[in-house]
Amino acid sequence: MTTTAESRDTRVPVTVLTGFLGSGKTTLLNRILTEHHGMRIAVIENEFGEVGIDDALVLDAEEEIFEMNNGCICCTVRGDLIRILGALMRRREKFDHILIETTGLADPAPVAQTFFMDDEIAAQLRLDAIVTLVDTAHVLQHLDEVKPEGVENEAVEQIAFADRVVLNKTDLADEETIGHVIRRVRAINSGVRVIPAQHARIDLQQVLDVGAFDLERVLADDPSFLTDTEHQHDATVTSVGIDLPGELDEDKLNPWLGTLLRTKGVDIFRSKGILAIAGAPKQYVFQGVHMLLDGEFGRDWRDGEERRNRLVFIGRNLDRKELERGFAACLATAGAVA
Amino acid sequence: MSTAVEAPTVWDIAVDDAPVSLSARGDLVAVAGAEGTVRVLDAAMGAETGSLELPGGSLSVQLAPDAGHLAATGPMGYALWRRTDGRTTVRESGAWSAAAAWADPERVAIASGRRALVLDTDGEELWRTDPAASTVTDLAWMRQGRRLAVAAYGAVHGHERHTPKPVVTYPYVGSHLALAVAPTGRWICSGNQDASIHIWRIRDAGDLTMSGYPEKISRLAFDDSGFWLAADGAPDITVWDFSGKGPEGTAPRSLRCHETITALAWRPGAGGQLASGGDDGTVALWYATAGRAQQRLRPARELTGDGTAVAALAWAGPHLLIAAYRNGRVRAYGVPSRAAL
Repeated sequence: MTTTAESRDTRVPVTVLTGFLGSGKTTLLNRILTEHHGMRIAVIENEFGEVGIDDALVLDAEEEIFEMNNGCICCTVRGDLIRILGALMRRREKFDHILIETTGLADPAPVAQTFFMDDEIAAQLRLDAIVTLVDTAHVLQHLDEVKPEGVENEAVEQIAFADRVVLNKTDLADEETIGHVIRRVRAINSGVRVIPAQHARIDLQQVLDVGAFDLERVLADDPSFLTDTEHQHDATVTSVGIDLPGELDEDKLNPWLGTLLRTKGVDIFRSKGILAIAGAPKQYVFQGVHMLLDGEFGRDWRDGEERRNRLVFIGRNLDRKELERGFAACLATAGAVA
Repeated sequence: MSTAVEAPTVWDIAVDDAPVSLSARGDLVAVAGAEGTVRVLDAAMGAETGSLELPGGSLSVQLAPDAGHLAATGPMGYALWRRTDGRTTVRESGAWSAAAAWADPERVAIASGRRALVLDTDGEELWRTDPAASTVTDLAWMRQGRRLAVAAYGAVHGHERHTPKPVVTYPYVGSHLALAVAPTGRWICSGNQDASIHIWRIRDAGDLTMSGYPEKISRLAFDDSGFWLAADGAPDITVWDFSGKGPEGTAPRSLRCHETITALAWRPGAGGQLASGGDDGTVALWYATAGRAQQRLRPARELTGDGTAVAALAWAGPHLLIAAYRNGRVRAYGVPSRAAL
C-alpha cells in the first residue's frame, strides 16, 4: 500500500469519440478494445451494434438531449448518458475506462456538459478528453458545407470541441490535402493536438487517459495554443488566445467573465485558462463548455515566475479585439499600462 | 438525544450482486442486483423462496400488493415471476425499463423505452401508451389504479386504460426522474434533473416548483397519510407538509445525517416515521414530522451498517426494516415498538 501526499483522482476516465460516419471511429474502437492493454473497458455506443467484443461491456444508447432550467439557454445534457452511466456505476465490476461513441451528427456540447451538470456522474467519473476522428480526404468538404441559417455544421463543432483530432486515412490523401486539413483544423481549434493516422492506428496513450479536462493540466499539454494561425476569412469558428502579463482584479474579472459567458456562451464552445489573481499565491485554473465553467486554484506561482495570464476561447464569431480589450481591462493595474 | 438501544438484527444474508432495489409486500422481500440477480426472500427469516435472472442487469423490482407476483425491470428489458410455481417470464425487449408499478394484484405497468406497457400477471399486454418525449423514467398509479402517471422528459402524462394518448398532461420543461402521487389523491410530484421538485394539484393542475436544491432530485416519497413528502437532492433530507393547502409558501423540515442520500422509506402507518440511508453506509430513523417547519432535525436513531453504501431500504410491515447494502448484504432490523423507533 502506498500513500501519496496528493490525493489522486480515482474517478473513472471517460473518453468521448466523435467523428463523421466513415471517419474510422469503429476501427479505432475495435483497436482500443482488442489491444492488449489489460484494461477493463465499457463502451457506450450511439451507433447501433457496430462493435461486439467479448471482453468489453457494450451498451447501446439513443441520444436524448435534455434542456436544463438553470437560466443558461444553451445548457443541455444527455439524458441517455446520465441513466446509462448511472446504472454502470452501480455494478460491482469496476471499469478502468469508459468510451462513449457518438453518432457522426452528434453535438459534443451536451455530452461534455453532462459531466459538469450531473453531480452523481461528476463524483464518480471524469471526462478525460474529446477525441474527434476525421477522414482526411473528405473532411474539408464537410467543414466547408454551408448549412442553412441556424443549423450547426457538426463537423466544425466536433473539431472545435476536440482535445485530440485524429487525422485518419492519411494514406488516401495527398500531402497537399493533409497540410490543408491541418491548417484548417488549427484555424478552428489552435491548441488541439493533431494525430495523423492510417487505419486508425495510433498510440493509445495519445488518446486515452490524457487528462484534457483536468484542471491541473489545462494548457499544460497545449504549448502551441497561442501560435497565431493562418487567418481564414471564411472561418466563423476560430480560437482566440490571449497571453497577458500582470495580475487580475477579481472584482473586475468575475463580472467580465460572467457577462461574457452569459451573453456569448452560446457561441463560445470551449474556454480554458491559467490566470494570476492579485493577492492569490496560487494560479487560478479554469475550463468551460459554453456557459458552464469549472475553476479552482492550482499550483503555487513559483518564486521569480512571471505572473501572467493565458487563456483561450474557441467559438463562433469571436471578436478578438473585444475579447483582448475586455480581458485587459480586468488587470489590477488596468488604465496604468493602457 | 439518541436512544442507546440497538435495533436487533433479525436476519442477515448476502446476495452475489450489488443490490439496487428492494420491495417488500406481504410476507416476501425481493432484492434486485445491478447485474440482474433477483432474489425473493421470506420476510420473517430471510430464507430464499425464489430467484430469477434478468439479462442485462436490473434497475428496479416490485412485488405485487398480494405478493403473488413480482416484476423486475432493467436496461435490456423486464421479467415477471409467479409465486405459486416460480414460473419466470423474461422479456428481452432491448428497451430500457426503468420502473414497474402494480395497479392491483392483477395488473402491472412497466416502463419500456419511451412507452409504458400495462400487462396481466402472465405478461400479456393489456394496453400500451404512445411514446413519450424520452425514455420513461418513472410510473405511478392514480385513482385506485384507474389512471397511470408516466414521467419522462418535458411532462408527466396521465393515461387511462386502452387510451394510448394521455388524458391529462402535466407539463414542465425538464427531465422528470422520480414520481410520487399522494395517497390523498390530491398531489402529483416529480423530482427533476434540474434540482427541483415540481408539484401539481391534481384537481386543477395548478402547479408550483420547489427549486434551490443543490443536486438533482431522484428520490421522492409520500408517507401513508399523504400529508408528508420526503425528498433527496441535498445532504439534508427535506420533508414537506402537504396537509391543508399544501406546501406553497412553507419551508420544509431538514433531516441532517448523511452526506449523500441513497434511500428513503416511510414506516407504514401515519406516525411520520422515516428511514433513510446514505452513501457512507449509515441508516437513520427519524421522527420526520416532529418540530416545526424550517427546523433541522437529528435522527432518533442510527443503525449499525455494513461500512458500504446503503443501496435500498424497504419496510416489511411496521416492525421490520430491510436494508440492502452495495456489497450484497441484506439485513433485516427489528423495530418492535409500535409508537417509538
